[in-house]
Amino acid sequence: MTEPATTTAGTRTTSPSPADAVVRIRGLRKAFDGRTVLDDVNLEVARGSIVSVIGQSGGGKTTLMRCVNLLESPDAGTVEVAGEVVHQDGRRVCRDLPRLRRTVGMVFQRFNLFPHLTAVENVVLAQRTAGVPEQEALERAVTLLRRVGVAHRALAQPEQLSGGEQQRVAIARALALRPEVLLFDEPTSSLDPEATREVLSVMRELAADGMTMLLVTHELPFAREVSDHVVFVDRGRIVEAGSPRDVLDNPAQARTREFLAAYGSAS
Amino acid sequence: MSGFFQVPWSDYRPDLTAALGRTVSYTVVSFAGAVVLGLAVALLRLSRVWPARALAAVYTEVFKNVPLLAIIFLSYFGLASAGIRLDVFTAGCLSLVVFYAAYLSEIFRSAISGVHAGQTEAGEALGLGRAGIFGHVVLPQAVRLALAGTNTMLVDLLKSTSLLVTISAAELMSEGRLITSATFRALEVYLVISAVYFVLCYPLSQLLLLLERKVRAGVPLSPWRRRRIRAARALLAAEPAAGPGAGTDRKEAAV
Ligand SMILES: Nc1ncnc2c1ncn2[C@@H]1O[C@H](COP(=O)(O)OP(=O)(O)O)[C@@H](O)[C@H]1O
Ligand SMILES: [Mg+2]
Repeated sequence: MTEPATTTAGTRTTSPSPADAVVRIRGLRKAFDGRTVLDDVNLEVARGSIVSVIGQSGGGKTTLMRCVNLLESPDAGTVEVAGEVVHQDGRRVCRDLPRLRRTVGMVFQRFNLFPHLTAVENVVLAQRTAGVPEQEALERAVTLLRRVGVAHRALAQPEQLSGGEQQRVAIARALALRPEVLLFDEPTSSLDPEATREVLSVMRELAADGMTMLLVTHELPFAREVSDHVVFVDRGRIVEAGSPRDVLDNPAQARTREFLAAYGSAS
Repeated sequence: MSGFFQVPWSDYRPDLTAALGRTVSYTVVSFAGAVVLGLAVALLRLSRVWPARALAAVYTEVFKNVPLLAIIFLSYFGLASAGIRLDVFTAGCLSLVVFYAAYLSEIFRSAISGVHAGQTEAGEALGLGRAGIFGHVVLPQAVRLALAGTNTMLVDLLKSTSLLVTISAAELMSEGRLITSATFRALEVYLVISAVYFVLCYPLSQLLLLLERKVRAGVPLSPWRRRRIRAARALLAAEPAAGPGAGTDRKEAAV
């Protein structure tokens, strides 16, 4: 039963054609100092779909996300974003790295807001360097902050904000450049339950709006609720991929079952 | 006490004012030069190319371990004897620049490397580009970290201009020496000169402390940031497109 491991996550969807994948990863391999942390990873994120990556810490989930916007350079395989091959056989093909990164929004576990700027300036900055006129950038920033429910804190410095507020500002910042896909790397892992609820509810709204998302999470009930696909990564390999029902409720692989048992996923 | 002040200070006021101006000029020019050179050396030290790092390290260590007075003598008398004649102002500023750049480069280097790696990554993930990340993300945060140490160096540099008396730089200390040799009132003269330094340095360091506090509190100091925040405040005060029906419009505009 290693077949599902190499099956692309997109193949089990009913509708989207492979051409409509916003992210397509084939045969990805990545090693750090000779130690392989990702091996033969295949993954597709169809436009408008939500793919959740689960798995133990150290399994390579973060590295996988970072290979999508090329914060890490894969050693082998193909990375395709928005229909364009950006990395192939260990070589960067995409010439305009900033443009690729504006196509892919990223939300970090530790928020990584710019501490020297207010919330609204955090959302404005990248728009301005991308050439959006000042007033337009500001209007969009305010709209986005309203949307994630932190407009009342728009003029606060990040350190004055709660964790949940910071992460919501970070989501607004990632949305500011109208990315085609959002990457979330354990967005709620450093948050308390209340803040987790706030952030998940924002993500739920994004999902309802049809945002394409690739997300690493330990919130299994949330993954079950919003995902079109769930991918279980273990020691650098995709062990199992499929619908949330298949992977989370009827896992075919012993490794997946062990993981789910350890994370105590009720139901 | 009335007998203590016997130097005809009012006669010396124009000379003292000129000397004070020169002290300020030395300070401003040297400090500006030291900041520029110090930043360049700091960047070299953080470079990926090892010869650049080595060069910067040698520079820093050399000038941190040689007395300022020796550097002053070298640049004024030493270079002159080798045929490179610098005027007093140039030699004085050059000495202060190379000396303080060594200290500032250490402060700048630790400030730049003190900016969390996640900040650069966030900038990269937003597509900022190298210059954008340095200018908009790393540098402003490094400035915050470097401010306290840099301010200390500024006040220190101002006081060190007094060493230029040894090359007769016509700044405050030199003027003090001139007045002393004309009046033989060393105690009175140097007390007054010291008081002038104090009156210069104390408010300056207090002002810099205030600046540090403001920057730490995130008060926007640049006019463009203030303008942006004012504009944001105006937008925030305005009603959001309003009505439940407008919600979909907003979402559409947002995605
Ligand atoms: N920059 C790096 N240099 C060396 N090793 C790294 C680096 N980044 C990650 N690793 C290693 O790669 C493995 C996978 O890490 P990561 O992708 O962060 O896993 P996860 O996100 O699933 O916890 C870990 O063993 C980690 O120590
Ligand atoms: Mg991780």
